[in-house]
Amino acid sequence: MIHSTLDVKNLNCPLPILKAKKALREVPVNAILEVLATDPGAEKDFIAFCANTGHELIENEQKDGVYRIVIKRSK
Amino acid sequence: MTKPLSIILCSEEHEKIQMAAMTATIAAVSEREVSIFVSMGAVFSFCLESPKGHRFSGGTFSELMLEKNAPDALDLLKQGKEFGKLSLYVCSMALDITGIDEGALIPDLFDEVIGLTKFLADSEDSQLTVF
Repeated sequence: MIHSTLDVKNLNCPLPILKAKKALREVPVNAILEVLATDPGAEKDFIAFCANTGHELIENEQKDGVYRIVIKRSK
Repeated sequence: MTKPLSIILCSEEHEKIQMAAMTATIAAVSEREVSIFVSMGAVFSFCLESPKGHRFSGGTFSELMLEKNAPDALDLLKQGKEFGKLSLYVCSMALDITGIDEGALIPDLFDEVIGLTKFLADSEDSQLTVF
């Protein structure tokens, strides 16, 4: 179940990652954060971010130019 | 374990300071340890009131960033410090040459005034990048 949604549409790098980092701090451990982004680099950036930080990338899809990235806070 | 990232920032060009701030902040929030050494003309950009009358010098891309309200480089660094392990050092030589007092620098940003030898010694196991 999604705990909260972060809308970073129309924001460019590095803001989507910075805002996601902040949002992940604000949800409980094991909670799920949904991120909506339009930055063309967002998908690969979030894959790398999750690999580096250990947060779990649960879903990653693109529809009508919007990336939907679902992350589970791991720690 | 990812290697720590060390950045030497010695330019007052907006584009370089912005890129250094973005790199440092993204690395810090990605849980990589980051140290930045501010020296040469970059110290002017970190003064509360720049002795040169403008915070950055810059070219076409700088103008575009200002026009599009890109996030301020110094605010990015503050966020990097808040959400990750990011340390900022200012060069003792640069303060001496410019006559800038430590108290004239933007507060709550710098961890220490140090020399290049100390920064390099501390960066021995880091990836070092110069902007």
